[in-house]
Amino acid sequence: MTKALNHQRQTRSAWIMLSPALILMMVILILPIMIAFGLSFTNYGLGVKSVDFVGLENYERIFTRSTFKKMFTATVLYVIIVVPFSVGLGLGAALLIQSVQRGREFYKTIYFLPVMASLLAMAIVWEFMLHPTIGVLNETLQGGCDSTVIHGLLTGSWYGADPLTSWYGDKCANGFPLWLGDRDYALWTICFIGIWQSFGFNMVLYLAGLTSVPKDLYHAAEMDGASSAWERFRLITWPMLGPTTVFVVTITVIRSFQVFDTVEAIFPDSGGPGKTAYVMMFAIYEKGIKQNLLGTGAAITVIFLMFVIAVTLIQRWFIDRKTHYA
Amino acid sequence: MINAFSLSSTIKHGVLILGALIVLVPFYMMVSYSFKSPGEIERNTGGFFGSQELMVDERCVKLQDPNKDEVIALRSRFPGLGDDGVRKAFMAEVERDCSMIPVVFNYSKAFSQAPLLRYLINGVIVTVSIFLIQIIVALPAAFALSKLRFLGRETVFNIVILGLLIPVHAIALPLYIMLAKVGLVNTYAALIVPWTISVFGIFLMRQFFMTVPDDLIDAARMDGMSEYAIVWRVMLPTAIPALLAFAIFSVVAHWNDYFWPRIVITGDRSLFTPPLGLREFKGDADGSFYGPMMATATIIVTPLIVAFLIAQKRFIEGITLTGMK
Amino acid sequence: MGSICLENIFKSFGETSVLHNVSLEINDGEFTALVGPSGCGKSTLLRLLAGLEDLDKGTVSIDGRDVSGVRASDRNLSMVFQSYALYPHLTVRENIAVPLRMRQLSPSQRLPLIGSMITPAATKKEIADQIYTAADMLDIGRLLDRKPGQLSGGQRQRVALGRALVRNPAAFLLDEPLSNLDAKLRVQTRAEIAQLHRQLKATFVYVTHDQIEAMTMADRIAVMMDGEILQYDTPENVYNRPASIHVAEFIGSPKINIFPARLINPDQSAKLQIGVRPECLKQKNGEYRLKAVISHLENLGPEIQVQFILPGIDTLFHTRVDPKSSNRLIMGSTTELGFDEVDCHLFDERGYSLSPHKTREFLKTLKQSTLENA
Repeated sequence: MTKALNHQRQTRSAWIMLSPALILMMVILILPIMIAFGLSFTNYGLGVKSVDFVGLENYERIFTRSTFKKMFTATVLYVIIVVPFSVGLGLGAALLIQSVQRGREFYKTIYFLPVMASLLAMAIVWEFMLHPTIGVLNETLQGGCDSTVIHGLLTGSWYGADPLTSWYGDKCANGFPLWLGDRDYALWTICFIGIWQSFGFNMVLYLAGLTSVPKDLYHAAEMDGASSAWERFRLITWPMLGPTTVFVVTITVIRSFQVFDTVEAIFPDSGGPGKTAYVMMFAIYEKGIKQNLLGTGAAITVIFLMFVIAVTLIQRWFIDRKTHYA
Repeated sequence: MINAFSLSSTIKHGVLILGALIVLVPFYMMVSYSFKSPGEIERNTGGFFGSQELMVDERCVKLQDPNKDEVIALRSRFPGLGDDGVRKAFMAEVERDCSMIPVVFNYSKAFSQAPLLRYLINGVIVTVSIFLIQIIVALPAAFALSKLRFLGRETVFNIVILGLLIPVHAIALPLYIMLAKVGLVNTYAALIVPWTISVFGIFLMRQFFMTVPDDLIDAARMDGMSEYAIVWRVMLPTAIPALLAFAIFSVVAHWNDYFWPRIVITGDRSLFTPPLGLREFKGDADGSFYGPMMATATIIVTPLIVAFLIAQKRFIEGITLTGMK
Repeated sequence: MGSICLENIFKSFGETSVLHNVSLEINDGEFTALVGPSGCGKSTLLRLLAGLEDLDKGTVSIDGRDVSGVRASDRNLSMVFQSYALYPHLTVRENIAVPLRMRQLSPSQRLPLIGSMITPAATKKEIADQIYTAADMLDIGRLLDRKPGQLSGGQRQRVALGRALVRNPAAFLLDEPLSNLDAKLRVQTRAEIAQLHRQLKATFVYVTHDQIEAMTMADRIAVMMDGEILQYDTPENVYNRPASIHVAEFIGSPKINIFPARLINPDQSAKLQIGVRPECLKQKNGEYRLKAVISHLENLGPEIQVQFILPGIDTLFHTRVDPKSSNRLIMGSTTELGFDEVDCHLFDERGYSLSPHKTREFLKTLKQSTLENA
């Protein structure tokens, strides 16, 4: 008798407790996706009187028009560059910090600072530092041109090479790049800022992963003859960090797909010189919000969602394939 | 073997320090610029603090530039001078009044040019509200999923996991439309409501609750507590570490969030969150306003940095905890 | 091939001295057990021998060669860890292969895909053969393709042994390898390790806190306490001629009985301690007699363990009695127990064993006045 009563009670309470969450999930997470999906087949705009069903027209446009080609290029390039560097630097920093005796907290704190600071604020600071004429970077580089020592070293003229053949020498003579204003450099600069901001987070996750590797394994490896740091890394550290790496890569990839702040702050109207930094989120913002082309915006959203789901599925597959822990 | 100055150790520290410098450079520049006058900024002089020489606030001066009638009214203050002379003398006074050291100029302009204080308060309102509502929604749900037995528990939990897959940026556009239709664009509600459901929070809390011994809850039941009371009186106190971790995660994410407020606050400046405020500042600024802009950036970035420096361990623990999903 | 010499080893961790002037000479092919309570330094000594810890002072030599400054991977030793330390992501076969690959393949041959292509088939076969031999010896042939996570504790232990012996090292170091196994498995594995030792004829250095393991498996036992070696001798000698009370109390279960005594002699009067093993106490028999009050009985089946009190002395004493040939023992009753001179171990005041002739000239008077002697 009590069993049924208990069960009833718990069931009732459970549903009451879950209802806010479930309702909110429906309204805020599930419903919008369905709306996005539906809208992507229309030419809807806020305040526009008539709405038509346009079938796959939005998608066609996205896959053919050059603007959107640039969108794919920019987004994919950004992800391909930022993820390996952000993950790699995170891992490298974690390994270095773990291997030194003193100053660990100090380095950890500093490397984590960019994660805490508003990306928008720091992007603006970087933009200013990268200003072609009054920015600190170019001023410093230019200053190096005037110093014979530095100029000699960086251009190779010290060892007899023609300075103009090196990048530095060429730029000293002809002017340093405009960085963010330069079609050839804008995207890489945005990538750099993205890496700068995110690797600290990955470092922290890797540090946690490193501490969970049993110390005895390293002793066993030593006895087995693995005498160099590289051997130990290959035999123990890297495999044991497998799950951490999968996780780190996944979140870095998904976050990279969502890049927006840097691009909008620096290139509010253009998405980069020649649209070289026209990333997906920016496209959604420009098309959907600024230009009120909500159908197109929805279509890009759907494509974005597909990318993310694909990445997550790959992650799940990796995890399933690699479970080797009891 | 523990040689404090071994070669490999030196190289490692060297690399780490180089990295630290690159990481810190923008922070250094940001704070430094916030101390400097426009001239110093342009020419990159003055060391870290700038030379703090008196500078003249051009706008302040221009604002007080007297027109014809005002010049006539000023005649009495400068006897013996022609209208031109009166104007010049008055402007000299104005220039003196409008002189200040750069750091004061920058920071006061930061607060006066745009309602920065208002923006900061908005930031606090929004992040705190979001966090509180997230907790109110997530804790009972997590409790139900971890400690209560009922039909459909597995299904609901799987739905929660599915929810984790949905990146928040993907739903931005349709949410915006929904809010527009209900007339809630440009409101606090628009800033807060979409974040009230934190699937991640539910997941995190549920994992944590699983580690709480069932006996504790049974004892509470025997003491006569209702299930709801158990959530707030028994589970909440034991979950403080996880809550702290989640709080850090939530506050940092929403204080710094730029994308969503940018979409949803379209006209009403008084609702700007700090990043929006800074962005607007940049939009309005001409070359001479880099100083105040950097001051604004410094002010926005500082609270979290200071909190981080004070409670480093907690922050990093928290991120690790949230990371190990 | 595998003789080991440790000389005057000193080791401290910070302020605490962990090993104090430890010296040990182990012969080739010998099975040496390092026994002692927790914290006595035995594991540290083993790790120093392995090269995983650095010593502060002293030398370690293997086959006459000084290896004190040589790193662990170059000392040609193998170690079996208490936690087994198997690589979780590799199969059993791959685990056992690691030491072989590290030593027999060049770095480029060890690369993931290309390495396999540039390794000559003969080398690959050699390695495979060595793995099979090891697996065979330990009866884990059918486990070769499993991962450690899929194995039981006992199986993992064998894989750890396999990884150790596949290389034919100069000596095997084992750090409490049985402590993670349940009691039954322990007994079985004990015998197997002892057998392995006979088969391989290699030097074994075995650390354990369990004196039974040491007694049953070792050729010689080194009893350690507080960072020093108290006695290094065969199990028989350690048991029958303990060098000090500490050794006598540590080895043997139940613990040896120590009776306080005084030497009465016209010339001197010195305090002594007499040690008598529980099994040497006989009922109503023996050259010297004690009146004992029985305080506790434990019937183990093949024997009865009796705890008794000597009135006036706080310590509990033990004896073991054959249930068949014993008179009825009742809790709380007083009975007479006796022992012979030949079963006595004499120790001086500080606990060190007395030389044989001193033993001969003693007259005993036991401390409490109420006790009567036979």
